[in-house]
Amino acid sequence: MILSRVKPAVGGEAPTSEKKKKNKGKKTPRVEDYLNQRDYLGSITLLEFQRSAGEREEDADLWLGYCAFHLGDYRKAMEEYKALTERSGCPADVWVYLACTLFFLGFYKEAEEAALKAPKSQLQNRLLFHLAHKFNDEKKLMGFHQNLEDVTEDQLSLASIHYMRSHYQEAIDIYKRILLQNRDFLALNVYVALCYYKLDYYDVSQEVLAVYLQSIPDSTIALNLKACNHFRLYNGKAAEAELKNLIDISSSSFEFAKELIRHNLVVFRGGEGALQVLPPLIDVISEARLNLVIYYLRQDDVQEAYNLIKDLEPTTPQEYILKGVVNAALGQEVGSRDHLKIAQQFFQLVGGSASECDTIPGRQCMASCFFLLRQFEDVLIYLNSVKSYFYNEDTFNFNYAQAKAAVGNYREAEEVFLLIQSEKIKNDYVYLSWLARCYIMNKKARLAWELYLKMETSAESFSLLQLIANDCYKMGQFYYSAKAFDILERLDQNPEYWEGKRGACVGIFQLILAGREPRETLREVLPLLRNTGNPQVEYIIRALKKWAKDNRVSL
Amino acid sequence: MERAEREKTQLITNQPYDESLEVNDSEEVASVYTPTPRQTVSRKSRRQLCAMANNSSDEYEEDSKPKKKETQPAGEQGLSENEDEEEEEEEEDDDDDDDDSDETESDEDEGEPGSAPEGAYDPADYDHLPVTAEIKELFQYITRYTPQTIELDHKLKPFIPDFIPAVGDIDAFLKVPRPDGKQDNLGLLVLDEPCTKQSDPTVLSLWLSENSKQHNVTEVKVKSLENPEKNPKAIENWIESISELHRSKPPATVHYTRSMPDIDTLMQEWPPEFEELLGKVSLPTADVNCDLGEYIDIICGILDIPVYKSRIHSLHVLFTLYSEFKNSQHFKALAEGQKSDTLSVPRSGTGDPETLTFD
Repeated sequence: MILSRVKPAVGGEAPTSEKKKKNKGKKTPRVEDYLNQRDYLGSITLLEFQRSAGEREEDADLWLGYCAFHLGDYRKAMEEYKALTERSGCPADVWVYLACTLFFLGFYKEAEEAALKAPKSQLQNRLLFHLAHKFNDEKKLMGFHQNLEDVTEDQLSLASIHYMRSHYQEAIDIYKRILLQNRDFLALNVYVALCYYKLDYYDVSQEVLAVYLQSIPDSTIALNLKACNHFRLYNGKAAEAELKNLIDISSSSFEFAKELIRHNLVVFRGGEGALQVLPPLIDVISEARLNLVIYYLRQDDVQEAYNLIKDLEPTTPQEYILKGVVNAALGQEVGSRDHLKIAQQFFQLVGGSASECDTIPGRQCMASCFFLLRQFEDVLIYLNSVKSYFYNEDTFNFNYAQAKAAVGNYREAEEVFLLIQSEKIKNDYVYLSWLARCYIMNKKARLAWELYLKMETSAESFSLLQLIANDCYKMGQFYYSAKAFDILERLDQNPEYWEGKRGACVGIFQLILAGREPRETLREVLPLLRNTGNPQVEYIIRALKKWAKDNRVSL
Repeated sequence: MERAEREKTQLITNQPYDESLEVNDSEEVASVYTPTPRQTVSRKSRRQLCAMANNSSDEYEEDSKPKKKETQPAGEQGLSENEDEEEEEEEEDDDDDDDDSDETESDEDEGEPGSAPEGAYDPADYDHLPVTAEIKELFQYITRYTPQTIELDHKLKPFIPDFIPAVGDIDAFLKVPRPDGKQDNLGLLVLDEPCTKQSDPTVLSLWLSENSKQHNVTEVKVKSLENPEKNPKAIENWIESISELHRSKPPATVHYTRSMPDIDTLMQEWPPEFEELLGKVSLPTADVNCDLGEYIDIICGILDIPVYKSRIHSLHVLFTLYSEFKNSQHFKALAEGQKSDTLSVPRSGTGDPETLTFD
C-alpha cells in the first residue's frame, strides 16, 4: 500500500469533492484518501470490502482498529484488538491499544490489566497516568507523572489531567508554551478555548476558538463549544441555533458526539425532554446527573433530586453548589439541621474559594450560607453585589426582601416583596407574614389586614392574626390591632387577647383624642369591647360614652 | 490564605475557650477555604468568615453574653436556637476589634425585632393631651399590655443553578498510532474527531462493488430509518447518492432479439387526418375495458411499435420513445400548451434501466 504523507484536511475543500473526483477518475479508492478526510466510516467500509474480497492488505486488522478508534467506535476497535491479541505472533504493542479502547469504554480495571501486558512506552505511561487519576491513586499518579517526558504528547496529556482536575490555568500555560514552538498546532487553540470556557471567560474562549473554526468550520467539538459559549453569553435560543447548524451539516451516518449534542439540546431548551434524554446519560456525561438534579429542583421534586445526588462526592464548584442547594431545600422541607449544616458548609466552601468568590454563583453561595446562619447583614452585602443581574428574579427577590426585612429595612423590603410574580411564592406563609410585617412597620396596617382577609382559615391565618395584633400594637396602629385581637379572642379565650384588645381599644381612643384617628371610629370600638363578657368592659364603655357625650360625638 | 490563617490563629489566642476550639479541628474543613482578602467585599464580612470557620462545631458552646440576651427575643426554637448560638460566637470574635464590633452591634440592634423599631408607639407622645384623671387612668391600659414579639420564619429559596452544558474533556493523547508508524498529527494540527461528512457505508459498498465488478462479494446491508417522517434529509441524501451511483454507470443498452424501428422514425408526425381526429377524441386511457397486455398492444399499435412474442422489448421501445419526447426541447415547448392531450405518464424521471439482456 502506498501511503502519502498525512496532511490534514484544512479549509475550503468540501469533503464530498473526494468522492466526486474518485467518481470521475474511476480510480480504485485508497484508504489513505479517506483517512486524510477523517472519513473513518469510509475507510472502514473500504477496509472491510477489501477484507471480504480477499485482498489482504498488510496490517488490515490494525488499520481497522485504528479507524474505528478514531471514529469513536471504541467497541468495534476493542473487538478488533481483542481478536488480534488472541492470535499468535501478535505484536505486543496491541495490548496497549486494547487498553486505550477499554479506557474509553470505561473499563478502567481491564484497561490497566491490558496496559501492563504491553512493553514500556510513552503511550503506556500516559495511559497508566490517566488511570491513576481515575482511581484517585495520588501515589501512582505522581510516579507516572515523573515518567512523563518533555515531548509534546506527554505534555499535552499532562495538560489534559490539569483540565480534569480543574487546574485550568496550568493547562493553558502548557498549551501556550507548545503553541509558541509550533504555530501550526491549530487544535491546541480549541484546548485553550475549552479552558477559558471553564474559567467563565466565554468571550475569550470564543476568540481563541475562532482561530480554529476559520480553518475547520465543521468541527464538531469546536461548534459544540461555540454553542456552549453562546449559551453562557446570550441564551439557549442562540446556543440551539449554533447546534442546529452542526446537526444540519453532519451526515446521517455521523454518530460521533451524538450523546453530547442530545444532552446539550436539553440544556439549551431549558430542560425540555430531560426525563427522556438524561437518565441514560448519567455517568456517561458528567453533567447529565447534575442537570437532572437541576430539573427535579425546578419541578420542586426535592426528594428525587436528593436521591440522585446524595452519593455524589463533589469535586467541582458546580457539584458543591448543587449539593448545597439540594441539602438546603431538603433541610428546610423536612426541618433537618444536619442537611442545613451540610448546605451551609458547602456554600461557604464554594463562596469562599479563590476561584468562585468573585463569580455570581459564588456570591449567591455566600449569601445562602449567611442566610442559613441568619446573618442578614452579611446576606445583604453579597446580594447587593449581584443584584443588578437579578432584577425581576423571584427567587432572588424573595431572599433579598427577607434579608432587608430582617435587618429592619422594611421600606425597601416591601418594594422588593411586591416585585415578586410567582403565585407559589405569594401564597407562601413566609412571604405573607413578612410582607404583612413590612406593611405594618411602614404604617400600612390596612394592607396587612387585607392579606389576612384573603387567606383561608387555617393555622397560618391564625398566626398572621397574632402578628397583625401584636405588630400593630407595637406600632401604635391600634385600630387593626383591636380588630385582630377581637377575632383572636373569639377563637381562643386566652385572657391575654382580652388584655391586648383592651389596650388597643383604649389606644384608638387616645389616637382620637390626639386627633390622629377620626372621632367616628369610636363607634366601631364599642361593639369590639362588648364582644367580651369581662366586667371591665362596662367601666371602659362608660368612660368612653361620657367623653362622647361631652364632646357631642354620636355613638 | 496565609494571612487569613494567621489572623485566625490570632483570633483564637484571644478567646477565653481556647481548648474547646482545638477539639474543633476535625470539623474545621471550612477554614482551609477561608478566602484570601479581596477588594469587593468589606473587611467586616471576611472577619466573620473566619469566625464562622472557627465555629463550625456543635460542641463549641459558650456562655451567652447577657447584653446579647437582652436583644434576643425569648421563645426561639429549632433553627433560631442555632442562630442564637452562632451569633453569640461571632460576637466573641468581634471583641478583639472593638470599633467593628460596635458597628455590627448597632447594625443588628436596629434590625432586632425586639427593640423598638422606627415609628413605634411611645406613650410619652401623648402625655401632653389635656384629659381628665379618669381618662389618664384609662390610658394606662395601653401600656399594661406588652405586645409579643412574633418571630417569623425565614425561608431560603435556594438559587437553583442554570442547566450546565457539556463541552467534553480535552484530548489526553491516549490514542492508537497509525499501524505504519507515520505521524497522523491528530489532536495537533486538527482535533482528533471524525469529520462531519462521513461516507454512507451502504452507498460506498455499492460503489465499491460497482467499480470492482465484484457483485457477488458483498451482501449489501441496507439500514432502515427510524421515524422517517422526521428525517427527510436522510431520505433525500439516500435518493441523491443512489441516483448519482446510477448516473455514473454506463448507459443502458438493450439488445433487441427482433428488429425494432429506430426512435427517430417513431417520432415522425402522424398523418394530418389522424392529428385532426386526435383533436376530437383522445387516446384510449388505461380505463379501457381490457387487461394490461391488451392495453399495451393497443398503445404500441397506435405508436407503430411492433409487438412480438414478448412485450418487454416493445415496452422498452415505448418508454425509450417517451423518454426521448420528454427530453426533447422542441416537444417540451409544444407540450406546455396542450399538456392534457399528450400521452402523459404521471411519473417523474424514468430511472435509467440496468443493462438488460434477453434471450
